[in-house]
Amino acid sequence: MEMIRVTQLGKSFGSEAVLRDVSFTVEKGETVAIIGASGAGKSTMLRCLIGLERADSGSILVEGEAILRDGSYQDEKTCRRICGKMGMVFQSFNLFPHISVLDNLIYAPVHVRKESRASAVERAMEHLRMVGLVGKEAAYPGQLSGGQKQRVAIARAMMMDPDMLLFDEPTSSLDPQLTAEVLAVMRDLAARRMTMVVVTHEMGFAREAADKVLFMGDGCIIEEGRPEELFGNPKDNRVKEFIHSIL
Amino acid sequence: MSAQYLLQLSVSLAGGLKYTIGLFFVTILLSMPLGLALTFLRIGKSRVLKAITGGYVWIMRGTPLLLQLFFFCYGITAIPGIGPYLVMDRFTSACVAFVLNYAAYFCEIFRGGILSVDKGQYEAAKVLGFSRWKTTRLIVLPQMLKVSLPSISNECITLVKDTALITAIGITEVLYFAKSAVNRDVNALAYLVAAGFYLIMTYGLTVLFRRLERKYNY
Repeated sequence: MEMIRVTQLGKSFGSEAVLRDVSFTVEKGETVAIIGASGAGKSTMLRCLIGLERADSGSILVEGEAILRDGSYQDEKTCRRICGKMGMVFQSFNLFPHISVLDNLIYAPVHVRKESRASAVERAMEHLRMVGLVGKEAAYPGQLSGGQKQRVAIARAMMMDPDMLLFDEPTSSLDPQLTAEVLAVMRDLAARRMTMVVVTHEMGFAREAADKVLFMGDGCIIEEGRPEELFGNPKDNRVKEFIHSIL
Repeated sequence: MSAQYLLQLSVSLAGGLKYTIGLFFVTILLSMPLGLALTFLRIGKSRVLKAITGGYVWIMRGTPLLLQLFFFCYGITAIPGIGPYLVMDRFTSACVAFVLNYAAYFCEIFRGGILSVDKGQYEAAKVLGFSRWKTTRLIVLPQMLKVSLPSISNECITLVKDTALITAIGITEVLYFAKSAVNRDVNALAYLVAAGFYLIMTYGLTVLFRRLERKYNY
């Protein structure tokens, strides 16, 4: 089943075209890694998917329903409903600092989806177990390490039962050791066939955990393929250079 | 100086506390919500409302509170047409002047607090499905409050001392009685007693806000 279909997505900030012509699809249960140099438009593309940025042209279909079709958006309510199928994990975590870890997890289920507190708490404990943070439910985000924060953020996104998760450079602000613990959680999700789109600089993760790798540059997808193809035998020179420079 | 005189002064000055404390609470309870409402207009999308609230803040912060007090007490009734309908007793006009003046200060304090909330908070709230109103109420305002707390504390302490201004329009608050006692007895002790009253009140506030800040120290 096709979860995401993006066609000819375009977006400019002022006179600078950040996305020129981006097209790709994501299948159910697939982990798609998006790699490429800084400034290639990876994050902007991801933010367009979930409605944090507005694209100028192209189409975005989520589970067959259009948010954006040929450059025109659906009404806000429809977009909100469709984007609600996706969860997002940010580079800077964006946990709510004024409430506890447990409240971070149950806040949206209770206040947005009107779930009972008891049932939300029960699910929250399950998710905390999944990310290895049982015992931290009463802590405040300020008392956690970066890796712990990001794992809470993943659990928080999972609390909304998303059909797919978007990760915007989830480990870019973490040191290597903390990166490993976050990647372990993401690998675990990938193994459980969670549909994931991951913008990342972690080539190890892209290579081992992704089903498909997209290489972005200059606002386009320059090359896409299975990780062993793209890393082992890149066709485009820009991809070759990039991979050469980081390995 | 006898202990009896001191006691007599204290009892006499305490008679003014109802106006001092009354004005304090009326001002706090009304100017904070009004200030918050002004903040939303001031950071909202409408340019007209932005300009109007900006002008309001400029006038209320840019002129002396004493002048505003005189205006609402003596000047407002002279406005042609509507003046006669705006006749208030002196304490009410003092409350109006204080509420309008402090709302301008709170507007700016809250505005600073809201601007300090990271934009990632709004984005996280959006992708989790929070409506704009719920984002404001559940995520932005609590964080604003923490940032604003030291400034709010400052403002409350200033307010305690500012209440003494209403002695100028003849309201019988603490300083009014102190001044009468000094004039009557040719003895400045009453001023010290009044100072003691204000110090006790501001000390209470200092302790209260220190506790609040500790509570919000996440």
